[in-house]
Amino acid sequence: MTAPIIDMKSLNKFYQAYQALYDITLSVEVGEFVALVGPSGCGKTSLLKILAGFEELTSGTLEIEGKDMRDVPPSERPTRMVFQKLALFPHKTIFDNIAFPLKIARLPKAEIAEKVRQMLDLMHLKEEYLTRYPSQLSGGEQQRVALARSMVSSPSVLLLDEPLSALDVKLKKSLQAELKRLHRTLGTSFVHVTHDLEEAMMLADRICVMKDGHVLQIGTPNDIYYRPAHPFVAGFIGDTNLLPATLTYSQNGANFTAQGVSCAAAAVQTTQLATDLDADHALLMIRPEMITINADAPKNCQMTGEVEEFFVKGATIQYRVRVQGLENEVTVETPGTAEVPISVGQTVRLNFDLSDIFVLGA
Amino acid sequence: MRIKNMSWRHPALQIATLPLLTVLVLFFLIPFGMTVLLSFQVTKLYQVAWSWDLTTWKDVFSHSYYWVIMARTLKMALICVVLCVFLGLPVAYALVNRLPSMENHVKILIVFAFLADAILKTFGWVLFFDRSGVLNGFLEVLGFGPAASDILFTPTAAMIAMVYNLLPYTIFTIYLSMMRIDRDLIAASYDSGASKLRTFWEITLPLSKPGLLAGAVLVFVLGLGVFLEPKIMGGGTSPLAAELIRQTFETRVNWPLGAALTIVVIGIGALTLMFFGYLLIKTTKSQGGNT
Amino acid sequence: MSRYRFETHLANVILYGSVIATLVFFYIPIVTLVAFSLTESRFLTFPIEGFSLKWYSALFAEKNFLPALWGSLKLSFVVTILSTILGAAAAVAWMRFKFRFQRSFQVLAFTPLLFPQLMLGVVMLLWFSVLGNFFDFSMALWSAVLGHVVYITPFALIIIAVQIHGFDDTLEDAARDSGCSNWEVLREITIPILWPGIFSAGIFAFLLSWGNFYLTYSLAGTSRTLPTFVFSGIANGSSPIFPALATLTFIPALILVGLADFFRRRAAERLKSDTTET
Repeated sequence: MTAPIIDMKSLNKFYQAYQALYDITLSVEVGEFVALVGPSGCGKTSLLKILAGFEELTSGTLEIEGKDMRDVPPSERPTRMVFQKLALFPHKTIFDNIAFPLKIARLPKAEIAEKVRQMLDLMHLKEEYLTRYPSQLSGGEQQRVALARSMVSSPSVLLLDEPLSALDVKLKKSLQAELKRLHRTLGTSFVHVTHDLEEAMMLADRICVMKDGHVLQIGTPNDIYYRPAHPFVAGFIGDTNLLPATLTYSQNGANFTAQGVSCAAAAVQTTQLATDLDADHALLMIRPEMITINADAPKNCQMTGEVEEFFVKGATIQYRVRVQGLENEVTVETPGTAEVPISVGQTVRLNFDLSDIFVLGA
Repeated sequence: MRIKNMSWRHPALQIATLPLLTVLVLFFLIPFGMTVLLSFQVTKLYQVAWSWDLTTWKDVFSHSYYWVIMARTLKMALICVVLCVFLGLPVAYALVNRLPSMENHVKILIVFAFLADAILKTFGWVLFFDRSGVLNGFLEVLGFGPAASDILFTPTAAMIAMVYNLLPYTIFTIYLSMMRIDRDLIAASYDSGASKLRTFWEITLPLSKPGLLAGAVLVFVLGLGVFLEPKIMGGGTSPLAAELIRQTFETRVNWPLGAALTIVVIGIGALTLMFFGYLLIKTTKSQGGNT
Repeated sequence: MSRYRFETHLANVILYGSVIATLVFFYIPIVTLVAFSLTESRFLTFPIEGFSLKWYSALFAEKNFLPALWGSLKLSFVVTILSTILGAAAAVAWMRFKFRFQRSFQVLAFTPLLFPQLMLGVVMLLWFSVLGNFFDFSMALWSAVLGHVVYITPFALIIIAVQIHGFDDTLEDAARDSGCSNWEVLREITIPILWPGIFSAGIFAFLLSWGNFYLTYSLAGTSRTLPTFVFSGIANGSSPIFPALATLTFIPALILVGLADFFRRRAAERLKSDTTET
């Protein structure tokens, strides 16, 4: 097994008296796409800046390609950054922009021209752009130039600082696809900061969810989605249901009791339990799309309630159901139909599978 | 900011612009026009005779004395520009990049020094540089002989005075330009592997060009018109254009000549302005309108 | 790595050093003057012999001083008011209106700035003399006022224009929507928010006029103003009176500059907040 390309251990960052990062331990493997996700203020951008060298860590270690990065300035690191506002040099042509890192590295002219051409092909940019200036290009084209500039010197690690957050939906989607394609083609390690968990799920091999300077969970998109370690992580990707429950551990897992839920045999496997559980204050997590409404073949667990509201989302319809005994409404999502089959005020039967439950600590 | 299209009939527009316009036309444009007129007149016996005459202009162009002075003024102004730009650059850069907390205080200090009365400041310099003044006093304490520094009444002293008065302008314009540079651009340059020096040369300096040019033009044009400080500090040995003009009016009472010379100086200033304005527009176009 | 360190240190030395050197440079004459104003002896030699405040009283005893001071005060005060008003009005026209010949107006407003001051004074002096001959009056102090106004209004204009630029005019819309008439909008919203900036422009105009030599000298003629007082005084022989005068003008000037900056910052804060005053 090869050594990770980035290795952070117990990294702390203080801005004067304010602690921005608490004991971060994270490693990025060669060729991996890691996303740092979290709400604003969670410290993801600080962490990225520390990786790039624009900020110094206060304590802990950071190694990139096996070398300690303490006191190493950004210009000497094997990382390249893509800035949120792109930071294309307005007074230089597109060619000069992309060629800039190579010019600094004193590559011969012919080689520079060759590599710039390669980048053009890779990013699907037209050759005639080379003599133009950034302000003459569209937003999407500028993005691609920024990416080209950061990749032209074939860095080992690409750091992206929310590069897509300011774009409109259509452009964002097309560039997300670009990023994924680039990652597959180049095999460079990516560290991508975003506040959009959906984007992270789409692009990343592993996701690191952060809040208030702490790492809440590191895992694959599936891990994050189906086995969140923390209610915040669970709730971060849209709506989910967290039903309060108490547990009694058993040989294979645990038995549970939850308000408003009646199951044929209320038990879950060990694999469905998060670590660090308090048996008296547990939460059953069921994703809205796992629950059926008035289904013909009911599954083992059942709840009854009254529909309070519904939202037509196109591909799905989302219902909010008030179940007796539960403080919060239950959110259910069903495949969309041309006509909404259920109306507000109607009493409905909700069902879900035992195996769709994941239990976390409150 | 919503911009309203106004026609000249609208009273609001009239109230806003006409007062200033009247003042400017009455007390600036017309006087200027009159000066032009005056240059075509001649003095006879200390009175202006209103006849249309090119004698004054022939006078101006024939006497090499005037052009020597013009050349000297031009030279001093140009040297002053170079000095002010070079000295202003590091200060402006420091203000933008190094002094986040002190920035305001430094600015206030500079503004205050700038606004203090001109003659008084010059007087202060004289006291400083005088044979028995402050500088020599210090030098004596340090072991140099008495009256070691003899800078007063030399062209060097005059140049010091000029730079002293005009340096704030370049500091200010370069500062304004540098402040608007996106910090991310500097970071991107570092990230691409450039050293601090390289970044300054490739990114900061080119993007400060508008400020540099504006400051240079300002200093040049204003430098053409100084006479007091150079005269006092320089000892009046090598008069500049403005001094010449003053003399022409006060001592020699040859108003048409004074008028003509004024127009020559203003003309040189205006031509420089237009030239640099053209340069500036060309530079901003290539940056895609980034100023 | 050490190259980077070296560069950083070198850069710091150059940058901090130049700022300090520049500040020292700017303050040499000022400090010299203040120091000399305290001398005991009649002569301005260094080192200073003894400390005394007697020159300050001597200054006030000078018969020409108080009239000159008064003259300058009057001049600067009137200029401030005129420049600020004209500048404010023009700033509005600059920033919020669009009209034919706007470009020419803008250029015209700024051209006096680029005239060497002496030339400006000369040009206006000629005109006033001609006027004086025709209409048989002499202008003296008023000609200086006009000269100052022509030169200083662009400065006031810029300062106020910057304030207007940052002004959120949707606030005015909100006021109008709540039922305010145009005048009320001006009174309740626009002016309260903008006035610190305008005030700061006024202070700046005052100081510019106060410290102005070239124009006053050319245009004020025989009427008494500080610059002429100082100029003729120095020409006749220096005495510690003038450093004393200098110090006296510096102190209020420094206070005013501080005030102007205070108001400027306050104006900036007001523009930032989105709510109207409670």
